[in-house]
Amino acid sequence: MRRSTILWFLIATCLGVALFLVKHEVQRREEQLAQLHRQILSSQEAIHVLEAEWSYLNRPDRLEALVRRHLDLVPLDNQRIGSIELLPMRLPLPDPNGPDGMSVTQASIGPDATNLPPLPVGRPVAFTREARR
Amino acid sequence: MRTRSETVRLEGHAKQAIETGRNRLILAGCLIGLAFVAVSARVVELSALRNHGEPALSASSVDTTLTVGRADIVDRNGLLVATSLRTPSLYADPKEVLDAEDAAFRLATALPDINPAETAAKLASDRRFVWLKRNLTPREQQQINSLGIPGLHFFDEWKRVYPQGSLTAHVVGFTDVDDRGISGVERSFDDVLRGGREPLRLALDLRVQHIVRQELAQQIATFDAIGGAGVVVDVDTGETIAMVSLPDFDSNVAGQMDADALFNRATLGVYEMGSTFKIFNTAMALEAGTATMRSGYDATNPIKISRFTISDYHAKRRWLSVPEIFKYSSNIGSVKMAVDVGTEGQRAFMAKLGMLRETALELPELGRPMVPSPWRPINTMTIAFGHGLSVSPMHLVAGVAAMVNGGIRRPLTILETDIPSPGERIISDRTSHDMRRLMRLVVGDGTGRKADADGYIVGGKTGTAEKVGGRGGYKRKALISSFVAAFPMQKPRYVVLVMVDEPKGTKESHGYATGGWVAAPAISRIIARSAPLLGVAPVDPESPEIRRDLMIEVPVEGGKRLASF
Repeated sequence: MRRSTILWFLIATCLGVALFLVKHEVQRREEQLAQLHRQILSSQEAIHVLEAEWSYLNRPDRLEALVRRHLDLVPLDNQRIGSIELLPMRLPLPDPNGPDGMSVTQASIGPDATNLPPLPVGRPVAFTREARR
Repeated sequence: MRTRSETVRLEGHAKQAIETGRNRLILAGCLIGLAFVAVSARVVELSALRNHGEPALSASSVDTTLTVGRADIVDRNGLLVATSLRTPSLYADPKEVLDAEDAAFRLATALPDINPAETAAKLASDRRFVWLKRNLTPREQQQINSLGIPGLHFFDEWKRVYPQGSLTAHVVGFTDVDDRGISGVERSFDDVLRGGREPLRLALDLRVQHIVRQELAQQIATFDAIGGAGVVVDVDTGETIAMVSLPDFDSNVAGQMDADALFNRATLGVYEMGSTFKIFNTAMALEAGTATMRSGYDATNPIKISRFTISDYHAKRRWLSVPEIFKYSSNIGSVKMAVDVGTEGQRAFMAKLGMLRETALELPELGRPMVPSPWRPINTMTIAFGHGLSVSPMHLVAGVAAMVNGGIRRPLTILETDIPSPGERIISDRTSHDMRRLMRLVVGDGTGRKADADGYIVGGKTGTAEKVGGRGGYKRKALISSFVAAFPMQKPRYVVLVMVDEPKGTKESHGYATGGWVAAPAISRIIARSAPLLGVAPVDPESPEIRRDLMIEVPVEGGKRLASF
């Protein structure tokens, strides 16, 4: 009888302490959440301001003036616009297991590589709206 | 033994009372037991069975999306045209201000544009709230804070900002200090912008808008004109890709602009458009069947009617075929074509084209066409070459789009649209094809040669109209010179209009200030610069398909001549 009472008392105390800790943890997390929300809002506002600035700095007349001053770009001439069909046929690459049995490695494309078609180069990174995001 | 038997054998009402008590006890016990069973069943249900229904996370009541005062406006590529920024506004509580004179004087050091005497009077007033300056810059706020004047407070307000400045002035319009739309899209979509969070997407392409504005400004400067309008419209959707009216204003400081800068020449101004109306006149005659591509009219002598004489600017003084009438922009031939169709037919055609009421554009500034009433035969004659019916440049563009796109008129729109309106058929596909060939002829060999852009197969029509003078007559020196073009002519995608108000001839133009000299070169440059941006691929004008498509027979009296441009 006495033993079971002590046991129940212990269980109740443990539960009480656990509840107290959980409550505090929840409170702390809620404060953290509210702070994160505030941060998100202020970041969104900052993004908003930066977007306005981005748009302001991307005014066509400003870009045009900057290009004139700093770059050698000229308006696109329609002679430079072509279609895929206008491209010549692509030359076949030399067979890696060629008749001489040698595999073409980076080292072996040395002085002989001058008559090979140029290797494709990676596209320049386009600064599009998507790329910024 | 005796006593026990006495206690067991209770009789009478004593036994009855015990029975009642026991019954009540059992009943209460049952009820309490049932309640316990219900509670435990509920506990089991909540903890074991209904666990899935419980949210794993507590629902947050905090709204994490930024609410701005007004929704943004963006162009078709998503570039910001108008946005709202939070800016501090300065107000004062005069009761808290200790020394009004001194405060005003010190404030003027941070804000040079305020009047110290006026501010001192405000600060000394008896109220509890006075605005001192709205929408400060961060730097100004910093300076005022460092002055440390008591009684001054900041209040965060949303301010409308237009990063593009004057580029989209007339389209976007502006708002007042309390964020209410005053003109342009800001006004016509005021409700949507106020409530919305999604940006409003315009049909404008800022790059093309910039090109049109720049080229138009150059023509206005070269020919010392008082203003102008430039428009680019998608013929298949009615979307306005560019719309410029010059002189313009900066939307950010629109309140200080004069009326002429605020006036939208492209939508609100109505003008007699001159020869560009011959596009409609010719299409009308071809559609009615009173003229064909092979027929013609005698344009030897000017037409005299009451006190007017209708003569030709580029007079040939001979019989002219319909293509020649269009190519040389013959007033005499056009009048005869219109007379053959008749007054009623012309009126009905113009009504169908939407020339007699405002355009469908979603802007508050829409000019109402000046329609002759009654529509007399003399009006029929003058409207044939674009006088006597005043419409806005947007009317003209919408009409020309319907002439070249296969004959379907669609309402113009300022918003980006995915599903174009089905539209209404005005002329047959065949007549539309004839009109394309005629418009190409004008640029290939007629009055509009300067409008051609290599590779883009431009077609169009010049227009030079004298402005209406003060006393009902026309001013000979005040012209509206315009050029309306479509490209590429084998399958038109865009209509471009350039209109210059009161150009003066220069030495380079040999004193001419006509549409072919003033507006056509701008058309050529606009198309050459913007076609790559609009995704129009250049083609070889000499390729057989295009030659065959746009080939035109120019009949001459007594024989035929083949031309292809």
